[in-house]
Amino acid sequence: MARRDAVGRLALYGACAPVLAFLLLPSLVIVPMALTKGQMIQFPPIWISVHSFTDYLGDPQWFDSTVLSFQVAALAVAIGCVTGSAAAVALHGRRFPGKGLVTGAIMAPIVVPLVVFALGGYLVFARLHMVGGWVAIGLLHGMLVTPYVFISVQTSLQAALNPLLVRSARSLGAGRLSVLRHVVWPAIRPGVLAGGVLGFAVSFDEVVVALFLQGPQTVTLPVRMFTAIQFELTPKVAASASLFLALSVLVLLAQGVAMRRRGAA
Amino acid sequence: MAAHTIRTFAVLRSPAWLLLPVGLLYGALALLPIGVILRLGLTDGGAPLRSVLRSPLLLRAAENTVVISLLTTIFAVLLGALLAVAVWRAGPALRSLLWACILLPFWTGVLIKNFAWASLLQDNGVVNALLLGLGLTDHPLTLLHTRFAVIVGMVHYVLPYAVFPIFTALRAIDPLLERAARSLGAAPRWVVWWVILPLIVPGISNAALLVFIVSCGFFITPVILGAPSDMMIANLIDYYVHDVVDFDAAGALSLLILAAIAGLIVAQQVLPREGQHGAA
Repeated sequence: MARRDAVGRLALYGACAPVLAFLLLPSLVIVPMALTKGQMIQFPPIWISVHSFTDYLGDPQWFDSTVLSFQVAALAVAIGCVTGSAAAVALHGRRFPGKGLVTGAIMAPIVVPLVVFALGGYLVFARLHMVGGWVAIGLLHGMLVTPYVFISVQTSLQAALNPLLVRSARSLGAGRLSVLRHVVWPAIRPGVLAGGVLGFAVSFDEVVVALFLQGPQTVTLPVRMFTAIQFELTPKVAASASLFLALSVLVLLAQGVAMRRRGAA
Repeated sequence: MAAHTIRTFAVLRSPAWLLLPVGLLYGALALLPIGVILRLGLTDGGAPLRSVLRSPLLLRAAENTVVISLLTTIFAVLLGALLAVAVWRAGPALRSLLWACILLPFWTGVLIKNFAWASLLQDNGVVNALLLGLGLTDHPLTLLHTRFAVIVGMVHYVLPYAVFPIFTALRAIDPLLERAARSLGAAPRWVVWWVILPLIVPGISNAALLVFIVSCGFFITPVILGAPSDMMIANLIDYYVHDVVDFDAAGALSLLILAAIAGLIVAQQVLPREGQHGAA
């Protein structure tokens, strides 16, 4: 029986290996492709040169787009951390009819197609003469970031904040703000941090909203890449893609740290 | 609920004004825009909606969207179930490694992944080099800008979305059930067929719906990896906005998408929930 189990296990992992290769392959090829000496992306690459990285950072348009993307993501994370954390705290330990509906509404930006928000945002911001400004992109990205922070904070609240703690703090004379500062904040801090990092990646990668709200001065890095990829596959795009890859590794690490801390709590 | 219980909760709960920021943000950037879209799409007694519904472009895009999303869902759920079972059966160290492999692509943006696939699938890319090297073909195959490439890129994107619900359903299974079935004389494959599989059906159907909903909204992948004839419904909205500059038609189309998504989400609520049979 034990031997048959081992054979089954081997078959299972044997079947998984190609799927894992399929999952990882795209992430693994980006950096090697950026290191080619050639002007086009090809296989095998002509190693080894960092000209693609200097091309990317030396191009003022691409450099400005990178800075703009950081700016937009920072605003989006700031907004998303406030809205997402506040909503998670408000719903924690509360039971009321329709709570599922409220949670569903907060999570909606994940399932509603981005193009609908992009069009709607364009129509609203056009009336306010805000299309073509980075604030409009940051605001809309703030909404896209909210569900990620919400989920992350909700998880850390469930792990670390017994609603009874709030009650005892209150009964010992702490005011509402004092409870938020000394009881709730320490419990949600890891969740806010992890959610903020996830949210940063969400905003930094986003193309569709940024494409609809772009102006001559506000082309984010993903929009610039999206436009470039449609014409040709250059090592310069691979170089900027390496930056995104580094970011997703960072997100993964942040998530791992948050999970470990949650496990320890 | 008795009156005193409500009062207990009143002491425990956090202030309701904490929902205000999210309400304001979503109100201004989701509800208000949807209101504007509704007004645009339904002007002149729904004339834009009627003209969009009659457009041959819509039929083409809708057909593409359904066919591509269904194929993506089938592949993603099959591969996702395989990965979920592997993670479920793995020991702690292997489990962390598998999660890392699944989550790294999950947190990489769609644009980066599509760019990588475009480079892999192009005529002088890795995949063609491999096929030529193995002697499976004597000339590079056209893989990029085909429906095949779109489905590869989309399955790669949505695969983690398929793993999560199936894994949650597997984790909720009481391990004693399997032992009980085995001790009563069931062969391992019958345990899988009669015990495990019925328990994870809700997880699988949730995964399929989630993947299908996410797939229907794809915009980037058909542009980068597909041919112009692979245009999906989101690309059609972009076409109406940026090429035809007809916001009424774009609004009408958005309404159709929202209605379809709402229908699917209602279906998801009606379907049996995860953990219903297990230890949850």
